[in-house]
Amino acid sequence: MSAPKTIPKDAQVMMQILKDMGITEYEPRVINQMLEFTYRYVTTIIEDAKIYSTHAKKSTVDADDIKLAIQCRMDQSFTSPPPRDFLLEVARQKNQTPLPLIKPYTGPRLPPDRYCLTAPNYRLKSVQKKVTASAGRISVPRLSVGAVSSRPATPTIGSSSVPSVTAKVSTPVSLSAQRFTVQIPTAAQSHVPKTTAATPPVLMSSSLIGPKTLLMSSSSLSQSDSLKRKHEDDEDYDAL
Amino acid sequence: MAAVQGGLVDTDEEKDIKTDPSSDACGNNNNAIDAKPVSTSPGTNAPSGNTKTPVATTEEQQTLLAVLQFLRKNNLSESVDILRREAGLPEDLLDLKGSDGSGSGPGGAGGGVGQEGGDSSSLLSRVAVSVSAAQAPTKVTSNDQPDVSVVLSAYNQQGDPALYDVYYSDLKKFIETVLDCHRAELSQVFYPLFVHMYLELVYNNHENQAKAFFGRFSGDQECYYEDDLRVLSSMTKKEHMRGNETLLDFRTSKFVLRISRDSYQLLKRHLQERQNNQIWNIIQEHLYIDIFDGMPRSKSQIDAMSGSLAGEAKRDANKSKVYYGLLKEPEIELPLDDEDEEAENEEGKPKKKKPKKDSLGSKSKKQDPNAPLQTRIPLPELKDSDKLDKIMYMKEATKKIRLGPETLPSICFYSFLNAYQGLTAVDFTDDSSLIAGGFADSTVRVWSVTPKRLRKVKSAADLNLIDKESDDVLERIMDEKTSSESKNLYGHSGPVYGISFSPDRNYLLSSSEDGTVRLWSLLTFTCLVGYKGHNYPVWDTQFSPHGYYFISGGHDRVARLWATDHYQPLRIFAGHLADVTCTRFHPNSNYVATGSSDRTIRLWDVLTGNCVRIFTGHKGPIHALAFSPNGKFLASGATDGRVLLWDIGHGIMIGELKGHTDTIYSLRFSRDGEILASGSMDYTVRLWDSMKAFDDLETDDFTATTGHIHLQDNSQELLLGMYTTKSSPVVHLHFTRRNLLLAAGSYNP
Repeated sequence: MSAPKTIPKDAQVMMQILKDMGITEYEPRVINQMLEFTYRYVTTIIEDAKIYSTHAKKSTVDADDIKLAIQCRMDQSFTSPPPRDFLLEVARQKNQTPLPLIKPYTGPRLPPDRYCLTAPNYRLKSVQKKVTASAGRISVPRLSVGAVSSRPATPTIGSSSVPSVTAKVSTPVSLSAQRFTVQIPTAAQSHVPKTTAATPPVLMSSSLIGPKTLLMSSSSLSQSDSLKRKHEDDEDYDAL
Repeated sequence: MAAVQGGLVDTDEEKDIKTDPSSDACGNNNNAIDAKPVSTSPGTNAPSGNTKTPVATTEEQQTLLAVLQFLRKNNLSESVDILRREAGLPEDLLDLKGSDGSGSGPGGAGGGVGQEGGDSSSLLSRVAVSVSAAQAPTKVTSNDQPDVSVVLSAYNQQGDPALYDVYYSDLKKFIETVLDCHRAELSQVFYPLFVHMYLELVYNNHENQAKAFFGRFSGDQECYYEDDLRVLSSMTKKEHMRGNETLLDFRTSKFVLRISRDSYQLLKRHLQERQNNQIWNIIQEHLYIDIFDGMPRSKSQIDAMSGSLAGEAKRDANKSKVYYGLLKEPEIELPLDDEDEEAENEEGKPKKKKPKKDSLGSKSKKQDPNAPLQTRIPLPELKDSDKLDKIMYMKEATKKIRLGPETLPSICFYSFLNAYQGLTAVDFTDDSSLIAGGFADSTVRVWSVTPKRLRKVKSAADLNLIDKESDDVLERIMDEKTSSESKNLYGHSGPVYGISFSPDRNYLLSSSEDGTVRLWSLLTFTCLVGYKGHNYPVWDTQFSPHGYYFISGGHDRVARLWATDHYQPLRIFAGHLADVTCTRFHPNSNYVATGSSDRTIRLWDVLTGNCVRIFTGHKGPIHALAFSPNGKFLASGATDGRVLLWDIGHGIMIGELKGHTDTIYSLRFSRDGEILASGSMDYTVRLWDSMKAFDDLETDDFTATTGHIHLQDNSQELLLGMYTTKSSPVVHLHFTRRNLLLAAGSYNP
């Protein structure tokens, strides 16, 4: 199949436009991309204009319809940053508040939980089967959101609630970075801390945790539901 | 409305009021969102004031008609009659075509925007809308004068499109005949005048005249304005301007020119004795002429400082005090094992550091007058791990090689293979143990530079099982099964344009085209927070040298200061006319430098958010900034291939390093500031002798009062070495603690 010897007229026009705007170096794909964009943009505008003109009960599409279509599209897709006076005003207000004092070290300095991406992005359905201490059984908690069901060990986008433990020389304090407070040093709970409830899907495939942990975690999950709400109240503040 | 009678007031008042509300923050020529044309300028000198005499020219008649319409709209029939009688106007006047604009003061939203120019009503509506859109307090207080004066002035743009050519070439001829010493200064006027006249023609829908005007005079402009002119050439209709915030800001902000008094008098006299009020109006409206007493500047001096989108910096923009000194290093107890002297003072008494670590040693207990107070901005206190880091730092610093013109650093280049031109950002940790790359496919990858591999922290379950009291607990918390050479971080939904490690190596920041800045943990290699604020691509981000704070700058023309534990920015630095492309912290974390596409660099105070310095002189968008380690100087690199050196304290340019032929993307001072390394798209790394460049400065007699700079053309002597890569543009530079230079770039065959 021989390549066409001459470039289509549209492409030639596009090349001329690029040259006029001072762009001299570009990959050949750029012309195709530009043409595609042009086609898509123009058809969108004309379709919108047709809708507006029929709405105004006109028989043909005229310049006003096109202008309106362009304007609406501009406000929707091709927005531009806020104007300077607005920015200056916002900045003036924002800059008036003094810089907040920094509390002494309280763990990783992160915003309140709801603004972080550290919470699990799935929820476990309660396991129907009786959770007995039968060690050999790996009862997989049914996941209601299968987003993380059988993923490899690498954490997925934006999720994963592995607590971020900072390399502190002293004993790790309780991290409030996620929903379930990790009470690592305290031995108040006899079983594994609640955080593992959130981590089994990730850990499942990495074969780090034995079956026992899974069972216990699912049981702890149901207990911690009520506690979960309590933690939410505690940490649900919008302190700036 | 009381404004009515004010219409016949003398011109001086109008002019005064016009020049008053022209500050940055509340320009009365606000375009708001509608981008209504605001091409107003002070009222003409002659005609409007003497309306008692019979109307002579059509211009004056137009003015009167405009006033009449205004009165009529406000239902002031008696005044209308009086005016008509005295002016001797006929009964039939132009009908009101457009909708009302200034009903009762700043009120309605006029609809007559799109109409053809030429009738006063559309002028009224158009101008009055802009008046109503303005929120400047001055407008409210002096509400009688501006309305009519605004009408009159807006009118001035009308009716003259054919004459713009004439005015401009007239001015050109005049300036060509002026004395040599004044010519260079007066030539500065050409570019802003040209742009504003062109924009006015476009706004008032004189498309053909605009094109003709452009074609005739665009070739005369300075070569470094070429890019701007190209953008302008594509705008021939008013609608084209609406989306371009930069141009809109250009229209409303004042272009600053610095002209000596003599030259200014010449210009003023010439313009006022002729009937070229057009140009005079534009100058008064859109240009801010910063007059200084003294010798007129030469062409080279002017060229060095000009090039930015808003002209030069006003003299008082660079006058506030900047604390450029370094913060005192906290005194840390040195470990016992090193020297014998430690043993004597190890009883918890903070010990003075060794004098040979001169960069860190607090030699004197006195506060450096140029340094900010330790408590000026809240900084996080040092954790134990930070103190250990500092000790490591000091130990490494003792093994630092002293660089100089005779001892150049070795350069180790890290090439990113198979990146297919997708490498958009690189950063090294301070101790050079990790390297991170941001890519156009929205991933962030972290590699370990040392043989030590990257490992994640164990899960919480496992952490419970380890022995927390053991000495190597930091090793035990790491999960060996996850060790690998590199880690990929997924999360962004657009190319990653900025990357920055935190000083304690626990966090990594990345900023992307999707408008967010993400904080990643380097212990778990997961994303912790997404900071949303910019809704437009964020071009650069950087952690503060003390951790906790970070800045980001993006397409929305502002830079923001954040703290890791606040989901909203703490400070917003607004003022640039175009995108903020580069953001850097000062070594003392009290100031932030931002480089922008409007070709200026601004220095902002973190405490108040004010802009304390404006540096102009680059001829292209700025892509690299570097503070010298002593905090006194700033180096900047742009697409024009020049590196400029600035003295922060005095606020002037002190050096220019020419040599690169393409955009400079990275600049870095060596650890003691003796050498400046610059990396560019022309595949080279160049080393410059910054010691010498700054030394010459110390002995110079500062001409800071007049701001005249006299740059030496010594780039050749200052160039210590030029090292070419095969075909890898140099995207990042980093000096290790021992002064080995690391460079990074992607291999682009």
